[in-house]
Amino acid sequence: MSLKYFTIEERLNANAWDVDIHRPHIKIKDPDKCRTCEKKPCTYMCPAKCYVQQGDYIVLSTEACVECGTCRVVCPHGAIEWNYPRSGMGIWYRFT
Amino acid sequence: MKFDVAIVGAGPAGLAAAYRLASSGFKVVVLERGREPGAKELYGGRIYAYWLDKYLPEFRKDAPVDRWVRKERVSFLTEDKALTVELAITQKEKTSFVVPLVSFVSWLSKLVQGAGAKIVTEVTVDALVKDEKGKITGVRSGSDVLQAEYVIDAEGVNRLLLERAGIVKKLEPELVAVGVKEVLKFENKKVLEERLGLDEDEGLAWALAGYPTEYLPGGGFIYTYKDSLALGVVVYLKNWEKLKTPVYDLIEKFRLHPYIAPLVKGATLQEYGGHMTPVAGINMSPPRYYYDGLLIVGDAAGFLLHTGVLIRGVDFAIASGVLAAEAIKEARSPSAEDLAIYEKKLRESFVLQQLEKFRSADRLLGDESLFRDLTLLSTEAAYRYFNIDHNQRTMFEAVREASKKTRVSVLKTMINMIRMLRSL
Repeated sequence: MSLKYFTIEERLNANAWDVDIHRPHIKIKDPDKCRTCEKKPCTYMCPAKCYVQQGDYIVLSTEACVECGTCRVVCPHGAIEWNYPRSGMGIWYRFT
Repeated sequence: MKFDVAIVGAGPAGLAAAYRLASSGFKVVVLERGREPGAKELYGGRIYAYWLDKYLPEFRKDAPVDRWVRKERVSFLTEDKALTVELAITQKEKTSFVVPLVSFVSWLSKLVQGAGAKIVTEVTVDALVKDEKGKITGVRSGSDVLQAEYVIDAEGVNRLLLERAGIVKKLEPELVAVGVKEVLKFENKKVLEERLGLDEDEGLAWALAGYPTEYLPGGGFIYTYKDSLALGVVVYLKNWEKLKTPVYDLIEKFRLHPYIAPLVKGATLQEYGGHMTPVAGINMSPPRYYYDGLLIVGDAAGFLLHTGVLIRGVDFAIASGVLAAEAIKEARSPSAEDLAIYEKKLRESFVLQQLEKFRSADRLLGDESLFRDLTLLSTEAAYRYFNIDHNQRTMFEAVREASKKTRVSVLKTMINMIRMLRSL
């Protein structure tokens, strides 16, 4: 029985997207807020694991973002700037 | 070039509005940020047909349908037990169907184009454009402004445009949940059917409470597409602190649960995604649904009804889109005064009537003890009832023992069940 755990990287690799390398659609406005944020909900609630804690800081990689918008809503400090990716960029859902 | 109506977002709500307006001779443009309509959309998996017969009867003729739902399942799931209730319909009933939303939206967009509306993809709208009196006169994308007599905001749950226009406040965690979803494909659709006990054209809609969300509000879901299935979890944002597992791992824990894993073994992952869903329904609606030059439809308006088990978004979206179109057809001008007819239509329709009726569902469903108590007590009681040892228990004894073991009060559970009966 193949009961394989799909790592998040494997899962994200199943998706199609077009990364906007010139202008990420999410930014951390104030990294100091993340540093002092005790709870860091973004690391728990982002389905694509875009937010990874390194030391006190948060490292954000937007490449594989699924564009749900959760991070912006769940961030208790309003530290996340979230835009719709421009012109066709970002995730491209084909089967959901 | 000036359009009569500019619609932001080629989802079910925006496209339904576009179709109705274009069919009546309006010059309509739909702006979609994705590469194709549906590219940015994700939902659970099911569409209810009953209201579509009234608002979009064309769908019966040729809309894509993977499977008509003839089995409804609800499970309480713990680490090692599951109690499942199944409703099966043996007639060939066609009241709700499962299909990837992107397929349905793709069909709808062809209908819209056939009616003469223009769908422009790969255009991200950055803002609604206002004149000096505050009337919405168009939309802006980058440095381009597109003017329109009427604008319909069908941008979806994130509603950045409404926020930027000062119409709504930023979403609060209390108002939304995040759904995380995997589409799992079977090489042979017969395998899927055999495992889930389905006939070849039958569909299953399955809601599971308890284990999938670590007993917090929300739950897991499974919907059967043609040769794949949609599997996911929904977590209320407000509860994130109580989660022990990040959502991206939560869904895998659910898929690999001993009750679920045998059903999906061997299936390959076709797609993985996430989307916010408005759990608060009408409680997250903007102050009004109409402004000078602007109408708000679909998820952006909070038009999603959920009762824990039944979740209706697409039919509400389509109905609101159609009603917005009807309002524009009847309005003499794009003034808020004239567009107030939209709200009247919403109130006269199932959209606001049903949302009002289930207004308090959100509070009950967000009650942390509800799912936990019901899941633990019911699975444990069922286990004790069915598990014969030295003693065969009456149902009452089984429940009493289960209450002792799980420390869940029977009385409190009964009160909650009455609350559920009343408000869900």
